Amino acid sequence: MMLEHILVLSAYLFSIGIYGLITSRNMVRALMYLELILNAVNINFVTFSDFFDSWQLKGNIFSIFVIAIAATEAAIGSAIVSSIYCNRKSTRINQSTLLNK
Amino acid sequence: MDLPGPIHDFLLVFLGSGLILGGLGVVLLTNPIYSAFSLGLVLVCISLFYILSNSHFVAAAQLLIYVGAINVLILFAVMFMNGSEYYKDFNLWTIGNGLTSLVCTNTSWYGVIWTTRSNQIIEQDLISNSQQIGIHLATDFFLPFEFISIILLVALIGAIAVARQ
Repeated sequence: MMLEHILVLSAYLFSIGIYGLITSRNMVRALMYLELILNAVNINFVTFSDFFDSWQLKGNIFSIFVIAIAATEAAIGSAIVSSIYCNRKSTRINQSTLLNK
Repeated sequence: MDLPGPIHDFLLVFLGSGLILGGLGVVLLTNPIYSAFSLGLVLVCISLFYILSNSHFVAAAQLLIYVGAINVLILFAVMFMNGSEYYKDFNLWTIGNGLTSLVCTNTSWYGVIWTTRSNQIIEQDLISNSQQIGIHLATDFFLPFEFISIILLVALIGAIAVARQ
């Protein structure tokens, strides 16, 4: 009973993140929804590690790596977004062909 | 955690409802600062949920890194780009929005019920959770650990090089 409810919760967060990522018109909001998606995946990993693997904790260790990669990607993403904003004064996503000049 | 059953269930329901409302708030709020704070609520709820799942190290790492660094970074990015375009009523619900919301919410939610579960052997943990993670990171997962540190170094240098112009 417990495992399925937690997996449904993480699937719900993942689908909300996918919906927001597809329909966001703003690059900073896209970064926020990407963090939601990565956290939903982390909940899955930690839940499976808690229920099935309390000896080797492989899911916990992989979720630590996912947290580190998400921090890296948030830093690089916000640096790119702020340099686009400094150049063009606008962060609409449908103007994102600006990087290929 | 080994709490009694009803308290554990009540805490799970409480955190789950916080997660559901916070997730809806991130998507549906028009002011980007409100939605960034709602994302902070979601991340704190997830960290408390990790404490309930006997994963104390991941809970502390989530609180420090996600709430303390990534959420603050997102808030900086949101406050830095305050054009006047953000405060108009931007939530035009187009046909694409409706179609995507239908697609994203009509997955088979309880198809996850068909995950098989093995017999759960309850073992005594002589070593705590953080010590086990430390042992595995230092012996079995040593190479990914070093690669993560190199990735962080390269990303830091890259972010400084991009933001310098």
